Amino acid sequence: MAGEARYLDPAIVARLGTIDLKARTIVEGFLTGLHRSPYKGFSVEFAEYRQYLPGDDLATLDWKVYARSDRHFVKKYEEETNLTCHLLLDVSGSMGYGSGPITKLQYGSYLTGALAYLMNRQRDAFGLIAFDDRIATLVPASARTGHLRAVLLALERLKIGAGTNVAKPLRDLAAAVHKRGLVVLVSDLLDEPQSVLDGVKHFRYRGTDVVVFHVIDPYELTFPFEQSARFRDIETAQEVMAVPSAVRQDYVARMAARIAHYKRELGLAGIDYCLLDTSQPLELGLMAYLMTRRRVQ
Amino acid sequence: MFGVSFLSPLFLIGALAAAVPILLHLFHRKTDVVIDFPAVSLLTRAPVQHHRRRQLRELILLALRVAALVLLAVSFARPYVAGAAAPASAPVTVVALDTSMSLSAPGQFARAQQAAAQAVAAAPASDAVAVITFSDVATVLVPPTSDRGAALSAVSAAIVGAGGTRYRTALASASEVIGARDARVVIVTDLQQTGWEASDEGGLPDGVAVRVVGIAAPTSNLAVTSATRRDGTVVATVQNYGPDEARTPVMLMVDGKQAAQATATMAPFAAADVELRGTLGDAGTAHVVIEDQAGYQPDNVRFLALDPPPAVPVTAVVADPTGAVGGLYIERALAVADGGHEFAVTVADGRVLSKWTTVEMARQAAVVILGTRTLDRRGRELLKAYLAGGGQVLLTLGPDVDPGTLLDVIGADLGVAPAPVRSASATLVATDSRHPIFRPFLLPSGALGDVQVDQHRRLKDQDGRTVLARLTGGDAALTEQTVGAGRLLVFASDLDNQWSRFPLHPSFVPFAVETARYLTQGRQQGRDFTLPDVPAGVPATPGVVRTGEGATARQMVVNVDVRESRPATTSVDEFMKDITRTNRSGDHEIVDVARDAEDRQRWWQVGLLVMLVALAGEALVGRRAA
Repeated sequence: MAGEARYLDPAIVARLGTIDLKARTIVEGFLTGLHRSPYKGFSVEFAEYRQYLPGDDLATLDWKVYARSDRHFVKKYEEETNLTCHLLLDVSGSMGYGSGPITKLQYGSYLTGALAYLMNRQRDAFGLIAFDDRIATLVPASARTGHLRAVLLALERLKIGAGTNVAKPLRDLAAAVHKRGLVVLVSDLLDEPQSVLDGVKHFRYRGTDVVVFHVIDPYELTFPFEQSARFRDIETAQEVMAVPSAVRQDYVARMAARIAHYKRELGLAGIDYCLLDTSQPLELGLMAYLMTRRRVQ
Repeated sequence: MFGVSFLSPLFLIGALAAAVPILLHLFHRKTDVVIDFPAVSLLTRAPVQHHRRRQLRELILLALRVAALVLLAVSFARPYVAGAAAPASAPVTVVALDTSMSLSAPGQFARAQQAAAQAVAAAPASDAVAVITFSDVATVLVPPTSDRGAALSAVSAAIVGAGGTRYRTALASASEVIGARDARVVIVTDLQQTGWEASDEGGLPDGVAVRVVGIAAPTSNLAVTSATRRDGTVVATVQNYGPDEARTPVMLMVDGKQAAQATATMAPFAAADVELRGTLGDAGTAHVVIEDQAGYQPDNVRFLALDPPPAVPVTAVVADPTGAVGGLYIERALAVADGGHEFAVTVADGRVLSKWTTVEMARQAAVVILGTRTLDRRGRELLKAYLAGGGQVLLTLGPDVDPGTLLDVIGADLGVAPAPVRSASATLVATDSRHPIFRPFLLPSGALGDVQVDQHRRLKDQDGRTVLARLTGGDAALTEQTVGAGRLLVFASDLDNQWSRFPLHPSFVPFAVETARYLTQGRQQGRDFTLPDVPAGVPATPGVVRTGEGATARQMVVNVDVRESRPATTSVDEFMKDITRTNRSGDHEIVDVARDAEDRQRWWQVGLLVMLVALAGEALVGRRAA
C-alpha cells in the first residue's frame, strides 16, 4: 500500500470539480508518475518519414522537408496505429452503493473519464456506452477533437438505473462493433456470472480485446457489519434477515469464490480482469488499461 | 343461540397481559434495522433465515403467546355457556301474554296479540326481549333474545286456551327469566279478578318496572257451570254473568246427536237449572251446549260421563258373618258413598277369606279387619302378604280380634296390650285435623267429640307410627304406619257397635267413607276432571278423553274451571298492588345456577389444556427459530 501513496485517493478526486478536471488530474498525475516508471513511449509522437506514394493524403505531406530537399515525404504518427476503444460503464442500481465517500458508480465514472482522457491523449478513438439492463447512454467512438468533452459530459449526466443485465447489452454491442478494437467494461458484475462471462466472451469471439474492471465496494468484500439487520437488495428489494457474525465467513467465502471464478474464466478467455475496490487509487485501473493496450498493439 | 358468561369476570383483566408480547413485537419491529446492500444474492444462499419466513414465525410465536395469556385469563374467569341467547347482564323486556279462557271472547285475543306485538316493538333497542304466555301455567316462548322477529313470531303464533288465569305463575316465570338483569315486564291481560289465586306463589324482584296493558273484557258471559245426570235426565246449570237478562237455547248432545233441547232464561248475574230429558245410554259421554256469541267460548260446552265410575272393591274381614252385626255398619256406611257407586263392599269371614287366591286378594283396594278369630293360617298369610305387598288395611281392635295372632296377620308387632281397657265415656280427639280422614270434621268442630268409646285396647308407642286421633284418656285411638309396602291404620276399639257406640253416631259414615277413600286413594277411577287438575297424560283441554284399550279402556271428561267464566276485572292500580315484590336474593340463586353450570361444563379445564398446547407449540416454534 506504501507504493500506492503517490496515487490520488478516490475520495479526494471526488471532491474535485467537474469530471473533466477529475480525469485530467488523474491522468496527468498518472503520466507524471510514469516518467519514472518502465512504461515509456506511451504518447502521440512522430514515428517516421516515408516517400510519398500516389494515393497518399496530401495533407500528410511534410512541406518543410519538401522545401529543404525538394522531395515528397509524408509524416507517419503513432495515431495511425491507434485503437477504437469502447468504454462500457454499468449504471445499474447496485452501482449506486457506497459504504465510503463515493459510490461504485462514481468510482466507475471517474475511472471511465480518466480512461477517456488518456485515450484522447493517445488519439485513440473512444466511445461511451452506459447500461443497466439496457443501453442507457451511447456516445459513439470517435477521435475527433471535442469528443472527449462529449464523453465527459455524458458521464457527468449519468444516473443510476435499474437492475443489471450485463449479458444483453454486451451481446448487442458485440454485434455492433465491427472494427477490431478494445472494450473496457467497468461493472460490479453483480449478475449471473455465466451471463456476464458469456456476454464478455462475445467480444473475444469477434477478435475484440476486452479488459474488465470489476468495481467493488470494500464492504462487499469484507461484510464488516456487526448488528443484526434486514439486508435489502438494492435492485430487487429482496430482504434477508441476517446476523452478520453468523454469515460473514460464508459470505466472504462466496464473494472470494465469485471473484476467483471471474478471474479464472476471463483469464482462460484471454480477457484482462482487474479487481478494483472503491478505496483503491484509480491509477491502478489506468495501469491495467495501458498494459492491455500494449499487448493489443 | 347460547351466550358465554364468566363466573369470575374480574380475572379477564389479566388478559391485558397479552398486550405485553404484542408491544414487544411491535417495538422489535420498529427497531429492526434495514440495510441496503447490493450483494444480497450471496446472502440468500448463506445459512441465514429468510426474513419473510422469520416474520411468519414471529407472528405465529406472537399468536401463541397471546393465546396462552388470554386462555389463562379466560380459564381463571371460569367461563360457562349460559342457556340464554342474550348475555346475562343485558337488560330485558319480558312480555307476558295472557292466554287464559277469559281472553277467548270474539276479537279479544287478537287485540291482546296486537298489544303484545307493540310491546315487543317498543322495547328499548338495547334490551333483550322475552315472551311468556300464561294461564294455569306459564310458558317461556322466547327466552331473552335480541331477535325481535322471533319474539313477534312467537306472539303471533300464540293461541288462546281454556285454562284459568294465574298471575303469580306468570310473575314467577318472568322473575326466573329476568334473573339478575335490569328488566321491565309488560303484562297483557284482561285483568280478571280471579287471577290472583291465594295458594299461588310468585312475584317480581325489586326494581323491575311493570306495565299492564288491559284488554277489555266482554260485558256479559253465559256459561254452563254444571251438567249432572239424574237417571234419564241431565240437569244443566247455566250462569248469566251479565248485567242484563239472558236467554239461550240449551242442547244436550249424545254421541254427536242432539238428544234434548230447552231454553234457559237467566236474570242478571243469576243462574238457571235446565232439565234435559232424552235417551241416555248407560255408558259413554254427552255434552251440554249453549249459544253465547259475545262471551267466552270454551265455557259454552260442558261434558259429562253417562256411566258411573266402577266401584272400588273393599273387603271387610269379620269373625263370623252369620253373627248379628259383623261388618254391617262399615258395609252400610260405605254403601252410601257417591250414591252407592263408589265402593263395592264384600264381607267375608276367615273361612271364606282363606279360599281366596292371591290375585283375588290383590284386587281389593282396601281391607277392613273387624275380626280374626276364624282366620286360619292361610287366611293370615294371605292378609300378611297383601299388606306387605302394598295393600291398604284398617285394623280394628274389637272383641273379635285376637291380639295373640296379630303378628301372624299383620306381619309386625303392633304392641297391642291383650287386655281391653274400659274407659268411662272416652271420646275421640283428632290430633291432626288436617289429615284427609278428619277433613269433614273441621266444620262443625267437635263432631268427633261426641263419639263415645267404652272399651279399647292400648297401643304402645312405637317408632314409625303416627297417632291420628286419641281418646280423651290419652291412649291412641287411630294410628297410621307402614308395614312392608302397605299402609296400616289401627283403630283401638271396634266398629261393630260392641265396645263403642261410634257406628251409631252421625260422624261414623263420613269417618268410614273418608277412611276408605284415604286407603283407596289412587284406586278410584275418576271420570270428571276440571282444568287444570287432569291426570298425567291427559291433555289439559276441555273435551272427552279416551285412554287404554279393551278392558282397561276409560272415558274421561275434562271441563273448564267455571271460576274463569266470570268476566269481572280489577283495575290496573289494584293489579299493581297485588304484585308481590321480592328482594334480589335471587341473585344468589342465579350465581348458584351459574356455578352449577360452570361446574358441569368445566370449560376452564379445556382452556388450560389449550393454553398448555399453545405453550408447547410456542416452545417448539421458538426452538426452531433459535
